[in-house]
Amino acid sequence: MKKAFVAALLIITAIPLLIGVAALPPHGETTAPVHTHISARYLMRGAEEAGADNIVTGVLLNYRGLDTAGEVTVIFTALVAGLAVLITRRKEPGAKADSAARGDVPAPPPVSPVVSFVVQLLAPFIALFAVYVILNGHVTPGGGFQGGAILGALFIALTIVLGEGRTRSLMPRLALPWMQGAALISFVVVGVLGAGLTGYFLGFPAEASLHLVRELMMLVLEAGIGLGGAAIFATLFLQMEAE
Amino acid sequence: MISTADIRDATTVVLAAFGALFFLVGTIGLLRLPDFYARTHAATKCDTVGAGSLLIALAVFNGLDASTGKIIALAGLVLLSSPTTGHALARAAHRTGLAPWHAEKGRTP
Amino acid sequence: MSVTFDILLLLFLITTALAVARAKDLLAAAIIFSSYSLVMCLLWQHRGAPDVAMTEAAVGAGITTVLFLVAIARTTRREK
Repeated sequence: MKKAFVAALLIITAIPLLIGVAALPPHGETTAPVHTHISARYLMRGAEEAGADNIVTGVLLNYRGLDTAGEVTVIFTALVAGLAVLITRRKEPGAKADSAARGDVPAPPPVSPVVSFVVQLLAPFIALFAVYVILNGHVTPGGGFQGGAILGALFIALTIVLGEGRTRSLMPRLALPWMQGAALISFVVVGVLGAGLTGYFLGFPAEASLHLVRELMMLVLEAGIGLGGAAIFATLFLQMEAE
Repeated sequence: MISTADIRDATTVVLAAFGALFFLVGTIGLLRLPDFYARTHAATKCDTVGAGSLLIALAVFNGLDASTGKIIALAGLVLLSSPTTGHALARAAHRTGLAPWHAEKGRTP
Repeated sequence: MSVTFDILLLLFLITTALAVARAKDLLAAAIIFSSYSLVMCLLWQHRGAPDVAMTEAAVGAGITTVLFLVAIARTTRREK
């Protein structure tokens, strides 16, 4: 019964996807829109139109903003799914007895003072670099995803070195859900703001005079993606450690 | 006449050759040395001195500008992080009870 | 020269991919996978996609490896 339900759900999901793929122009066709005018338009006018010197960021957040919003949703869903699996596993009876039986992975040795010192010495620089990557993403390569991953990695390194007790305070219990959903929230906020300004959800005002507004919207999106990504990585790590 | 550019080029070549030599020696050591500790030692030399001196060679070659600052920062990062990595690897191996190789006893299991 | 470098990187990439698939020791597989990500990152950078290269380095070589290691430490090291 359950299997039949899952199969039906998969088929129902697959049908619109397959129809969508079938409607795309064939791969490599020279008359496809991407070859006739879209790429040229992005390259010629992207910098002034999208409000980002880095054309990749312009395409990701402005021209293809809805796709990125979908991507962010997928990442958030992945976190939810991961947590669902990890938390049910943890409550299984007999899980503790099982952990003693698997002997092939030795218990981790206590943290070396050298590693601890170097990580703590480098931590502020890594944090600075992550913030730079996030905020400067619309000028140089980088952006929310990359900077968020660096921040998440920094959090994991600090947790390993200092212990969970001290790094937990970086993610207070009350703020945690907002941090995990920061990317989605920033997309909704900027999307609604865009709807107010242009009439389209996630629309960016195209007037030259509103250049600062465009940049600010991108900055909010980047910061949201960065914070959300870092919080998601950190949560997954903490949850796996806690098991 | 020896110009500043000549001195710069010569310094670059010497530093880069030194780095390349360390990479060569380190790689041979990684392949030939008998046990984990010795191989980690060789690989760490390779990363620290080899990459460090290659980066300093690049900085000298580049002259004084913003990129040089980045290269120096990178060299500093390498000089800090790779000995730490080597230390962490060797310490973890020692803590889990990996016995070092001994010439009389031959390779330990 | 540039194409040669690409081909060398691609060959190394294929080698690491095969090694990951064949490794029975999951810890070794995770470590080789991180080197796969590193080679992939070099390739992205060399093909002119620095944004993707940064993502690959941070996510692929960094965080994914850590999560794999934690998962292995919590389960088992040998493939069954």
